Amino acid sequence: MIVWTDEQRTLRAAAAELGAAAGEDHLERDPTGEFSRTGWALVRESGLLGLPFGAEYGGLGADLLTTMYVLEGLGESCRDGGFPFSVTTHVVSTGIPLQRFGSAELKQRYLPGVCAGTAIGAHAISEPDAGSDMMAMRTTAVLDGDHYVLNGSKSFVSNGPIADTVMVYARTGTAGAPDAITTFLVERDSPGLHFGTPMSKMGLRTSPLSELFLDGVRVPASNTVGRPGAGFLVLDHVMKWEILLSFVVNLGEMEHRLRECVRHARSRKQFGQSIGSFQSVSNKLVDMRIGVETSRKWLYDTAEKLVARKNVTTDVAITKLVVSEANLASALAAVQVFGGYGYMTEYGVEKDVRNAVAGTIYSGTTEIQRQRVAAMMGL
Amino acid sequence: MSRIDEITRHVVAEFAPDIRADELDADYDLLANGVVDSLDLLRLIGWLGERFDLPVEDFDLAPEQFRSIRAIDAFVESALVKGPA
Repeated sequence: MIVWTDEQRTLRAAAAELGAAAGEDHLERDPTGEFSRTGWALVRESGLLGLPFGAEYGGLGADLLTTMYVLEGLGESCRDGGFPFSVTTHVVSTGIPLQRFGSAELKQRYLPGVCAGTAIGAHAISEPDAGSDMMAMRTTAVLDGDHYVLNGSKSFVSNGPIADTVMVYARTGTAGAPDAITTFLVERDSPGLHFGTPMSKMGLRTSPLSELFLDGVRVPASNTVGRPGAGFLVLDHVMKWEILLSFVVNLGEMEHRLRECVRHARSRKQFGQSIGSFQSVSNKLVDMRIGVETSRKWLYDTAEKLVARKNVTTDVAITKLVVSEANLASALAAVQVFGGYGYMTEYGVEKDVRNAVAGTIYSGTTEIQRQRVAAMMGL
Repeated sequence: MSRIDEITRHVVAEFAPDIRADELDADYDLLANGVVDSLDLLRLIGWLGERFDLPVEDFDLAPEQFRSIRAIDAFVESALVKGPA
């Protein structure tokens, strides 16, 4: 069991405070899919965006476990599920690959903006015909002198409408080969780079998402992140962080939801007794608790293993699957516990279901995680 | 058994079970010829990390380092001697 220090607890409390403020008016913004600029200003001011990055770039230099613990606090307090998703997307899409694979020059040029939140980050991976099968991507990058020329299109770019920099994954080799993908840092105002209009979606509506079109975009070869052909390995590293940081936010959300459900089950009276005294209700709450504890164990055990430099490919896949499915089950159970109130939009409970469905899809669907675990078993 | 033999046996057993270890040339391109695909590459890197006690997360990895049996052996040699770049 991890024992958190006073300093870590203080950081988490600060994140919880800003999460609550960033989530205000979430019910009003959800139907229109409005990103919280007020929340972004708060999160920028707090330094949270620079949590895992070096002090030399304006970051806090926190380790992975501390970063997760603080983000768990953000998830626990912020009722606008889309906002923390945009925060973690920003951190993992550009900051994490830059820190791990970026040249000294790229780190110097871009990491301060990531830490300060002045340059919102996104990554562009999925394509209309290449979602889970990323190795089949069609977007190409061809070397022309000291630049690469990028052509193609990307779908489902989280943070796309608000992004200043985008990590674009493009094909530089033979389709399907493990060395076919390269990663490029592309600035929003690059000629030939066009973002589509924000796309309407089921959940996480306040985290804007769009398509991205690349029409002869010239990117300096020095903006390659990682070695040419190493994009798949860059993405593997990014996905480990994305899953741990994004889904620890879900853990915080589940903790809050469970607390609210227990409170409601103890106070709501039907047939002369609290509904929590009915086993059919208490069983749901117990299952929610099991989901919280199982998720916590997988998230932090996997993080500790990653920090210890162990191979976590299978662990990350299981963690993603377990937490995303637990979050969806928890959100659905909460609607049942709250009954008619849970179904009404004004209480915000149904919104959690719509948000939780996204978690079973992004960062690799539940089906893909199972496939990945099977592949690691040699199947 | 030499290290390169051990790597060859592992690659054949895991990714090319239809051939014998002595049939796999040390310079054969495992990536271009589809012996090792992207998920296989993760499995291979994971095995190398565990078998040779290498902190693979710390290395500046590229598929090129795993293109052939000889390249893999050279990567392990360099990693053991120099550590992460």
